[in-house]
Amino acid sequence: MSVTLALPARARQRRTPFPHAAALFLLVVAIGTAWPQVLTAYDPIAADPLQAQLPPSAVHWFGTDQLGRDVFARVVYGARYSMLIGVSAVGIAAVSGTLLGLAAGLLRGLADETISRVLDVVSSFPDLLLVLVLISFTGPGTSNLIVALGAASIPRFARVVRAQTFVVAGSGFVEQARTFGLHRATLVTRHILPHAAARVPILATIGLGSAIISAAGLSFLGMGPPRPTPEWGSMLAEGRNYLRVAWWISVWPGLVITLTVLSVNALGRRWQAAFDGRQA
Amino acid sequence: MITRRTLAGLALALAFPHGSPHAWAQTAQPRAGGKLVWAVETEPTTLNPQLNGQDKTKLYLRNVYESLLARTADGGYVPWLATSHQVSGDGTAYTFTLRDDVTFSDGRRLDADAVVLNFTRLKDPAYSGGISVGPVARLAQARALDAHTVEFKLDRLYAPFLDFAASLEILSPGAYGSPQLKSGGPDIAGTGPFILVRYARGQEIRFVRNPAYRWVPATAGHQGPAYLEEVTYRFLPESSVRTGALTSGQVDVIEGVSGNDAGLFKGSTQFSYATALNTGTPYSLFWNTTYGPTQEPAVRRALNAAIDVDAVLKAVYRGQRTRAWGITSPIDPQFYDRSIEGSIAFDPQRANRLLDEAGWAARDAAGFRTKDGKRLSVEVVQAQATVRDQRDVLLQALQAQARQNAGIDLTIAYVDTGTYADRRASGRFGAIANSNTPTDAIDIENHYLPLDRGGALNYSRAAAPELLAWLQEAAGTLDPKARFDLYARLQRFAITDQAYALPLYEPEDQVAASTAVHGIGFRPFKQLPESAHDIWIEPRT
Repeated sequence: MSVTLALPARARQRRTPFPHAAALFLLVVAIGTAWPQVLTAYDPIAADPLQAQLPPSAVHWFGTDQLGRDVFARVVYGARYSMLIGVSAVGIAAVSGTLLGLAAGLLRGLADETISRVLDVVSSFPDLLLVLVLISFTGPGTSNLIVALGAASIPRFARVVRAQTFVVAGSGFVEQARTFGLHRATLVTRHILPHAAARVPILATIGLGSAIISAAGLSFLGMGPPRPTPEWGSMLAEGRNYLRVAWWISVWPGLVITLTVLSVNALGRRWQAAFDGRQA
Repeated sequence: MITRRTLAGLALALAFPHGSPHAWAQTAQPRAGGKLVWAVETEPTTLNPQLNGQDKTKLYLRNVYESLLARTADGGYVPWLATSHQVSGDGTAYTFTLRDDVTFSDGRRLDADAVVLNFTRLKDPAYSGGISVGPVARLAQARALDAHTVEFKLDRLYAPFLDFAASLEILSPGAYGSPQLKSGGPDIAGTGPFILVRYARGQEIRFVRNPAYRWVPATAGHQGPAYLEEVTYRFLPESSVRTGALTSGQVDVIEGVSGNDAGLFKGSTQFSYATALNTGTPYSLFWNTTYGPTQEPAVRRALNAAIDVDAVLKAVYRGQRTRAWGITSPIDPQFYDRSIEGSIAFDPQRANRLLDEAGWAARDAAGFRTKDGKRLSVEVVQAQATVRDQRDVLLQALQAQARQNAGIDLTIAYVDTGTYADRRASGRFGAIANSNTPTDAIDIENHYLPLDRGGALNYSRAAAPELLAWLQEAAGTLDPKARFDLYARLQRFAITDQAYALPLYEPEDQVAASTAVHGIGFRPFKQLPESAHDIWIEPRT
């Protein structure tokens, strides 16, 4: 995920489309994640072979899939898996990335060299390839997928935090605090870390979008939670043989993945724009 | 012309005696030359036809590897690599006279020694593994009487022996010195109308015409070398991709058409579509009688009663597959006892009562039945390599049925070929789903003889003494009526009484092709797609 800094903040703010719609959509996704039964009365894994491949209707809003399961219920319950994988992976990446970046920025010298070169190696692999390699060692499954996705995006966070740490550590107020004899630990936690990591939540929000896409992609390939778990990516995979006759089996989960990622990105960018504006 | 049409009609009648699949129009004149691309579903685990158990690979392996006799639609035998055969009065000695003009594509001649070598090597477990305890184990001695006469001697009468011996694919003697022997490949020469020139894993397998080919059996559509110059089978494992490849003109023929896509080709003017039910054991879920909860007959009977097979087939295949009930195919002309049909009733109440009585009465948080704190869980072990024909969807539908109707946790483990072999050998699995296509009751023996007595595919690991007794008695007589009665008794015992297996559907071949392609057919009797020998294509405009 590249962070564009070229445009003036206000221009970018204007370019973020429908922030309210995005927020509203994410609210619905959040409700689906926390209380799916509020949104649907159907059981996402209950199959009824006599009701297979029914088109969308008042009874089955998104239709039914090849086994006669309610697609809407599966999409709603699927939010939990897709969001859980995305949020956890980004959480792992943000926390480990921040700590590594901070350590590199503060310790400098050999430690910085070591950490930076290791990060270079990690980021020289395309994200998805790296995740595939990690999963081939650990085997498929939700937790392995989370760890692999998280590990692959650590450099993104570590680099930014390291650079910011350099800037902050050399700035006047830190120098001043040091001359006042402030304890090193206090200096780091009170003054350096908050400033160095200021951008991490924004990065994490934008990273969440790509984490959700990657998670869905890997589940599509069978690396995610096992069937019949209603994960969005694996729903897409299950429906691909039916696209010609029953488009609704894979189009709805595909649409929801797209909207979720767009919404998360829209909000992330808006937040970033606001942040940049404040800093300017 | 009239003669030609009559012959073509006769050939079709021979090819499709059981119901009549759509036939390809045979109007234009056959034309030699051209290249054909055929998209297939199944990637081979090995290209050695003697070792490969995947029925869907036969349609291309048959281009290269041939056998001693061919079958006619009524189950009779006609000359192929052998010009004649005799069976001794007591049924223990078989003599085959070979053609004297057949050469393998590596230049070696087909003679009696080559045939003897093929049969004796198949008895070696180091080469053939579990196959060595199958029908070939009955062969006591194979010897060459002269350069073109082979004699097989058995210790005692074994009725299915001719079916087996006549159909074994004969490899060039040179194959046995090749490092490719077990994996198969271009090094393993055959006598067929095509020569295997290239196999690229995950992509394609390519054959070129064998110009020296002159020994087609009388059941074929024409004599002499094949029409096509070259035929390539491309591996496209997903049914929707194969359908798209044919409709967009990227390939000329596809096999394995999903229930959803059949309507696209049926009755179309641009495409031809034909199906034929397979012979052999229907696709059935075999419950392991020596491991886990399915050791209890009550659990097996409950499983059979808990699953609404008709509804599941209708959902998964959209009415395009045939429900199976017994231990052999409904098209088996010899040994299918139709009275088994309807004997497995979908009865969830009975399933639940059986399980309650068997002590699986408690339920855990997820709603699954438990006994002594252990969940009623049966693991279906499935090799990833043999998943085809939407069977992954079918298994998922069965899983949902077992859970919803009886609180049984049917888990599905997709494993690689090595793991699958391990699990099979060790017996640590709950159930295995399988079908196979041998005829003359070899399919029944494969599944119901004890594991160490020839039951190479005995996935239920059933070892009831009745099974062995009936099968030995049936194989020990040449009286078809007596054999039929014994297999019918075994069928009742295995399916209705003991619930060793839940028969699901009869596998079939579906072939769709551009109308420019002619001469695709199914093998008489055996019903699998015939080799590409008779196929020809109209010049592209």
